[in-house]
Amino acid sequence: MDLAYLIEALVKVLIVLGFTLLGVPIIVWMERKVLGHMQDRIGPQRVGPFGLLQTIADGIKLFFKEDVVPSQVDKVMFAVAPAISVVTALAAMSVIPFGDHVTLFGRVIPLRITDVSIAILFLLGATSMGVYGIVLGGWSSNSKYPLLGALRSSAQMISYELAMGTALLPIILMTGSLSLLQIGRAQTHMWFIVPQIVAFVIYMICAVAETNRAPFDLAEAETELVAGFHTEFSSMRFALYYVSEYANIMVVSAVAITCFLGAWNGPFLPGWAWFLIKLVAFLFFYIWIRATFPRLRYDQLMTFGWKFLLPLALVNLAVTAVVLTVKG
Amino acid sequence: MLEGILFAMFAGVAIGCALGVVFHRNPVHCALLLVGVLLSLAGVFILLHAAFVAALQVIVYAGAIMVLFLFVVMLLNVKGETPLLTPGAAKGFGFLFGLIVATELLWTVLSPGGSEGGPFPAAALPAEFGSPAGLGMLLYTTWLYPFEIVSLLLLVAVVGAVVLAKRKFF
Amino acid sequence: MGTMPMVPLVWYQLLAAILFTIGVVGVLVRRSALVIFMSIELMLNAVNLSLIAFSRQHGGMEGHVFVFFVMAVAAAEVAIGLAILVAIFRNRETASVDDVHLLKG
Repeated sequence: MDLAYLIEALVKVLIVLGFTLLGVPIIVWMERKVLGHMQDRIGPQRVGPFGLLQTIADGIKLFFKEDVVPSQVDKVMFAVAPAISVVTALAAMSVIPFGDHVTLFGRVIPLRITDVSIAILFLLGATSMGVYGIVLGGWSSNSKYPLLGALRSSAQMISYELAMGTALLPIILMTGSLSLLQIGRAQTHMWFIVPQIVAFVIYMICAVAETNRAPFDLAEAETELVAGFHTEFSSMRFALYYVSEYANIMVVSAVAITCFLGAWNGPFLPGWAWFLIKLVAFLFFYIWIRATFPRLRYDQLMTFGWKFLLPLALVNLAVTAVVLTVKG
Repeated sequence: MLEGILFAMFAGVAIGCALGVVFHRNPVHCALLLVGVLLSLAGVFILLHAAFVAALQVIVYAGAIMVLFLFVVMLLNVKGETPLLTPGAAKGFGFLFGLIVATELLWTVLSPGGSEGGPFPAAALPAEFGSPAGLGMLLYTTWLYPFEIVSLLLLVAVVGAVVLAKRKFF
Repeated sequence: MGTMPMVPLVWYQLLAAILFTIGVVGVLVRRSALVIFMSIELMLNAVNLSLIAFSRQHGGMEGHVFVFFVMAVAAAEVAIGLAILVAIFRNRETASVDDVHLLKG
């Protein structure tokens, strides 16, 4: 544990934190432009070239808004709930491998903050803890619509967590390890999406449902439940929820890339460049889904998750296990 | 030394949150403090090299069972009761019994053979200690029969919970 | 990882004993059925801690298997217990165990 190791760890943490927190405004801009063009209009175009500074302007606006705290809220939970959402989303980024390794200043620096042997379980645990941010946000607001929105949203999240975990299990079977680094290294010749296309589709749907995005965003849509669990949060508290939603999108996209789309493997460019390219492609796909599908009704959503996706994921797991056993 | 500091931190948080669970008025706060106990115990499990059990503690216990608790507390809208503790002689007896249990446990733990003496053995652990692979090897060979019975138990619990909580429409 | 730990086993057992005692006091002294449930979970967790610590002492993973089963049984117990509580609450509007005394002589 010498000084060089500590400096390396600190720099990596700062880089990943900066990458995530600066990635959020970029994703928001990308979403507004891409949604705009898909809906036959131009997105933001006045603030900065191509509207690039629009998100920063929105952030500044949120910063200067008045922080309204209703009188009957539970003060401690009201303050802590957005923080839980952000902390779990950012903590999950600490086990994502961005590339294999790079050699700087004579040291071989692995391009990840850490590699735990149970990385996938760590990610599932962080997602489970993220539910508390929503539940507490809705409850502490002491109001009907936030409570309903929070309960629906968190029930949806814990339901789709099951199918998500079960969809990742065939990948673990094929690699023999829960570590994301080993999963990335096992895909140098063939990406796991090729044998596990069913698991990829299931994971994709569950990822969209986990992050409360359209078409699964009934719990926070304006036309349905005012704004769901974050109705009573204003100014920077709302900004924290906003950041946590997009940071969660980055986390699930990064996990999908690592497990299905070959992580950092690719022909000419360095590993981290391929990671970024695949991340942007996946985010575009996310936004495309939002622009295309109508919103699902809540009971349709829950039926789909429990009665279709979970059995399908289990069947996929069984088939994978049988094939792997037969192949020896 | 780092381990000692971490253990002291986790133990302090666990005991503080446990006292909060028992002596707090609002049931939602009690549930959240119990989540705090569970998470700090998960930290202690990692100190004991039990990585998989720590992950299970976070995912299953803190992430699912306590969410169920919170749902029930929030939907029933149970307010904190007044008075807080059982009135009268029952309260005194409760504390006395707690004292008796504490004395028994401390006597056992602190006796010479209680904790099998002193520090952990210096022998290195097997490489797969605490990993899912190690647990899986035991669970599906030696302990297969209890494993199948527990899965039956969970099925019974699911069916029972649905039947008990259903509103009966006559 | 795998070097000799600095904290001896007895400290882990003491922590488990303290948590277990707090759980026992909670079950006996509180009136709210929900908090009684939570105290039971506290006792189960204290036992889990004790099992894991002893498993580390022996170097075998049987303690972990036991903890796995304890967690599964705790999940089942919480589900059924809360279902019963919901059924009682729906009838009587109270979650206090002192108010459910119809069988009292």
